[in-house]
Amino acid sequence: MSAPGTRRAVVTGIGVVAPNGTTAETFWKATQEGVTVLDRITREGCGQLPLKVAGQVPSFDASAVIEERILVQTDRFTHFALAAADEALQDARLGRADTEGAPFSAGVVTAAGSGGGEFGQRELQKLWGKGSRYVGPWQSIAWFYAASTGQISIRRGFKGPCSVVAADEAGGLDALAHAARAVARGTDVLVAGSTEAPLAPYSMVCQLGYGELSPVTDPQRAYRPFTGDASGFVPAEGGAMLVVEDERAARARGVPVRAVIAGHAATFTGAGRWELSRQGLAEAIRGALAQAGCAPEEVDVVFADALGTPQADRAEALAIADALGAHGRQVPVTAPKTGIGRAYCAAPVLDAAAAVLALEHGLIPPTPNVADICHDLDLVTGRARPAPVRTALVLSRGLMGSNSALVLRHGV
Amino acid sequence: MSDRITVEELSELMKRTAGVTVSPEELAERTDTAFEEFGIDSLGLLGIVGELENRHGTQMPPDAEHCKTPRKFLDLVNSTLLAGA
Amino acid sequence: MTRRVAVTGIGVVAPGGIGADAFWDLLANGRTATRGITFFDPAGLRSRIAAECDFDPVAAGLSEEQIQRCDRYIQFALVAGEEAVRDAGLDLTRVNPWRVAVSLGTAVGGTTRLESDYVLVSHHGERWEVDHERARPHLERAFTPSTLASTVAERFGARGPVQTVSTGCTSGLDAVGYALYTVQEGRADICIAGASDSPISPITMACFDAIKATSPNNDDPEHASRPFDNDRDGFVMGEGGAVLVLEELEHARARGARVYCELSGYATFGNAYHMTGLTSEGVEMARAIEQALDHARLDGSAIDYVNAHGSGTRQNDRHETAAVKRALGHHAYETPMSSIKSMVGHSLGAIGAIEVAACVLAMAHQVVPPTANYETPDPECDLDYVPRVARERRLDAVLSVGSGFGGFQSAVILTRPRERSS
Repeated sequence: MSAPGTRRAVVTGIGVVAPNGTTAETFWKATQEGVTVLDRITREGCGQLPLKVAGQVPSFDASAVIEERILVQTDRFTHFALAAADEALQDARLGRADTEGAPFSAGVVTAAGSGGGEFGQRELQKLWGKGSRYVGPWQSIAWFYAASTGQISIRRGFKGPCSVVAADEAGGLDALAHAARAVARGTDVLVAGSTEAPLAPYSMVCQLGYGELSPVTDPQRAYRPFTGDASGFVPAEGGAMLVVEDERAARARGVPVRAVIAGHAATFTGAGRWELSRQGLAEAIRGALAQAGCAPEEVDVVFADALGTPQADRAEALAIADALGAHGRQVPVTAPKTGIGRAYCAAPVLDAAAAVLALEHGLIPPTPNVADICHDLDLVTGRARPAPVRTALVLSRGLMGSNSALVLRHGV
Repeated sequence: MSDRITVEELSELMKRTAGVTVSPEELAERTDTAFEEFGIDSLGLLGIVGELENRHGTQMPPDAEHCKTPRKFLDLVNSTLLAGA
Repeated sequence: MTRRVAVTGIGVVAPGGIGADAFWDLLANGRTATRGITFFDPAGLRSRIAAECDFDPVAAGLSEEQIQRCDRYIQFALVAGEEAVRDAGLDLTRVNPWRVAVSLGTAVGGTTRLESDYVLVSHHGERWEVDHERARPHLERAFTPSTLASTVAERFGARGPVQTVSTGCTSGLDAVGYALYTVQEGRADICIAGASDSPISPITMACFDAIKATSPNNDDPEHASRPFDNDRDGFVMGEGGAVLVLEELEHARARGARVYCELSGYATFGNAYHMTGLTSEGVEMARAIEQALDHARLDGSAIDYVNAHGSGTRQNDRHETAAVKRALGHHAYETPMSSIKSMVGHSLGAIGAIEVAACVLAMAHQVVPPTANYETPDPECDLDYVPRVARERRLDAVLSVGSGFGGFQSAVILTRPRERSS
């Protein structure tokens, strides 16, 4: 994305904390193998709720990666963010010494759908159960949507632009675009992405009003987009952070350019108005391709939004056909999130991470739990499909009506 | 509950509210080391003060949260608790 | 050629009066809208005062359905949005909806609603497990703050990029700043931009109590918000919302719109120092001011007025004074700098947009709003804070700054329309 000037934003590092893997490496292994980890929710206090299935991050030991001093003042969503940011920066071989001399050239962008709900519930319980004096000093900085951006900035000494998109799902891609545009305007490097932790009791109660949630309690059958059994989506926690960097800065440091963030566009068609998202998503795809200078035929893989309701799935399949023309029926489409659930804003960032890895490995990961497609799409199911992938299109739509498309191109 | 705050209690509070682990023995030896050096910032100290106020059911003086070291902090809060007793 | 961005409409819901006219009347007369909390019984809190809006959603023109579905902070944004669009003389049915964007900020979003339903489902905080059957309808709309921009976008038929920005207390400035980027960089021709918050609830009051950030001057609420005054003792919570119509300048001129001023510069940085603490030097805010000046292609000496963050906490006002002196040099001493938080309180994510609205109105009237309650100078705050009384002054370029939890420092610059060489 190189609107002002000629600076190109590239991805140089990936960090992941996902239900199917708490590092980028384990995430990719499980993703390309099509492992499904959707399961009954086991988090404390959630058992009696009618929402039964989710993608939980089971084996994340926050204290192994984050100092206790920081743990006590942060929610689980920020623990995920700090861990993923650390991994992404290490992956990009970006140490403190690299940014210390120019702290204003390093920034942070996150998208947040619900903030520190678990921490907030604990403090609400103290307030209403015991009294206002029992609310601790950390509530003011743990619960709010900007907690992760602020903590990453402080942890790494990044004084560059710090942003937070408080968004529905599509905001995850908007955060990556924010970062790419900050690079175009002159910032050298940003940590960008999203992590979510919506699986605390009260947070789950808040989600029950989403009509698109799957009521199916069998984990293998709960989230099956693009099939005749599509019955809604399954929520998840976790997320990913990417290091987004000016291409010249990356090359000067001698680190591999993993992918180019080539284009992005966002539109809005109204909360729950899925039939309208056909046009909104198609407009976003056209806008992103135009910015990338990319013809529809050049798209080698589409990472679909895959909401999982019949109406939304139909709109997405038609949007792909509308925007890509005849190529839309031939291009491989995948939705690896059917194996891990939709982690709200973090869902498309995990898709973007998988897309970068797919470009690198020449391998399109499959769509777990899904077979017998009832739309005119070449959905990759069963096992991963080897393919020379040069350009990936990542799509996302949000429950509040946003549509977003991101074009990633091979790094070399 | 004792009406005097001991090094043990402070050590426990530092861990529980500020996530900083310093054993009572070490804290007793280092009472003149700045809270900041232990990794306790202004919010951390405010959390400790708030917790003490709730436990002992009494207000701490406003200066408590500005004490730089454990020794000064213990001296101040204990004189307050004694005066209140 | 660089696209320029005009402000063509303003709408405000603020304590002390609904609508931009009532808001300006309060500021120009230096009245304060801070008072004892009436929304709930604040007994037991350290700070029991706030700047509350006397807001009647029916009288403000909202439908029964809007009132049912929308939290108070979204109602503020809808009402301010209606006023701004009307003020801009904009018929949104006659513009390309795909070229209309929305960028709105909020710090705490639906927290007030989340708290009230929490009380129901938890039986007053009795236990960790919650009783979902006690939750009321539309709770999911409070769960994610993206409802804010989404609801406003639906109301005005926007189909372009729609975003909710949440960077704590700089949310309002940042939402306006992102809107500037969105229009300037060509992603939209019109952006409905602003911010809204309604944080006056037990949990939000209690969390600022816990860090002693809010004023405990409960006996004298009218004079409790005292930015830059030596006797200041914390900020006074507020609520409200402001919405601007931002428009590509040629687009505005082509339809013969009145142009209030140009939105010409924005920057934001982090201090990477502390989630709530500020340094005494203000280096990062100074940097934001300098970069916003660069963006606006202005020299610091061109600034005629600084609309301060001026929250009234001990550390903020010193930090900010240092930052403005660092960025503007000697010119800082010749430039009036005031804090409207002295009058309307600190509405967290909303206040940045409310302050930008105040700047637009200040330029329209060529009047600098005062810092109410300013009486006793603090030796470390030695600028001209426009004590108590508004002042006429030629205003061609105005700077608004903000500072927020997370360490964020933002600056926005507004200028009178002029022919610039690009």
